[in-house]
Amino acid sequence: MSPPSPAPEPPRWISCPECEAPCRDRELPPGGALRCRRCGVLVRKQSETQSLQPAWALTSAGLLLIVLANVTPILTFDVAGNTQSNLIVTGIFGLFRQGYWPVALLVAFAGIVGPALHLGSMWYVLAACCLRQSWPGLRQADHLAERMESWNLVPVYAVATVVAVVKLDMLGTVSWQVGALWVVILSLCSLFAMQLFDRDLVNKRLEALA
Amino acid sequence: MTSDARRLQTARALVVTGLILYVPANVLPVMTMTVVGDVEPLTVLGGVQELYDSGLWPIAAIVFLASIVVPFVKLACLSWLLMLQGSTVLQRRRGALLRVVHQVGSWSMVDVFLLSILVAVGQLGAMASVRAEPGALFFAAVLVSTLFASESYKPRLIWQTGDPSSA
Repeated sequence: MSPPSPAPEPPRWISCPECEAPCRDRELPPGGALRCRRCGVLVRKQSETQSLQPAWALTSAGLLLIVLANVTPILTFDVAGNTQSNLIVTGIFGLFRQGYWPVALLVAFAGIVGPALHLGSMWYVLAACCLRQSWPGLRQADHLAERMESWNLVPVYAVATVVAVVKLDMLGTVSWQVGALWVVILSLCSLFAMQLFDRDLVNKRLEALA
Repeated sequence: MTSDARRLQTARALVVTGLILYVPANVLPVMTMTVVGDVEPLTVLGGVQELYDSGLWPIAAIVFLASIVVPFVKLACLSWLLMLQGSTVLQRRRGALLRVVHQVGSWSMVDVFLLSILVAVGQLGAMASVRAEPGALFFAAVLVSTLFASESYKPRLIWQTGDPSSA
């Protein structure tokens, strides 16, 4: 008598992150994706590399670049012999001094604090996943990284710098400084890191660590 | 009241706030640029005009899109989506629209960042100075209210039909 064929695995159901419709989970080939039938959103994606290392590397670079971008001037401005070099914080202080502190706080949060929190928490989660360390507060850090994603506005800041140089060119002599380069590289780093951040793999690793 | 009903109420209140503040944000000057005694108060649109006049139309186009078109389109889309809340028409499209609105919305921060970089030169003596003006406060307030509105109106609410307060 032939051995009984193994019973088919019961279907696993996961809820769509967007519309909460139940979706039937299945084994995915590398690079395959599971989409919600109701709203069409990507529910789960099997990455081709199955590795979080690239994202971790980019996030580490991003953290270093945040420091560099904030301590080196982004541009110098010269009018009638008066020269001034501007950091990101110079503008924030300028707004404070003129009494526009709500705007100053908004710039400080979206330009410095938000990106630092986003990259910092992402780094913590990725480091724990890559080194397989069950560090405290991983869930909270992961949650924070998700919340801060829309507050990482460094790419927008990079565009604003270009416009500012054009505007200041009408007033006096303006020249780029190395800080602007750090801002541009930082925005590329965080964009690619977000792209490479494999949500599904992170969830799996975090569950295994907990 | 359920937390979903509260989310909806918050989103509605913030969109109305944003629509009201959009008017002073665009009518009042956001900054004054003084060049060799020539005092120029600039509204958001005035800043775009100035860039366009200097022949840099691609940059003028970016600023125009980011600081005038995007906030308005975002407010209009959110109002439309909130009005259709609970109905079953075009649910898939509405979900997609909400995601796009959420992604694109933060680009209007260009103008606020720009202001902060320009204001940094505000203390360079009498020859050239840049000062922030009250319009900047309203502009920032529009941004913050639309940001939080799209944050609290989650796409999953589109898929909840019927009255959420009775649920």
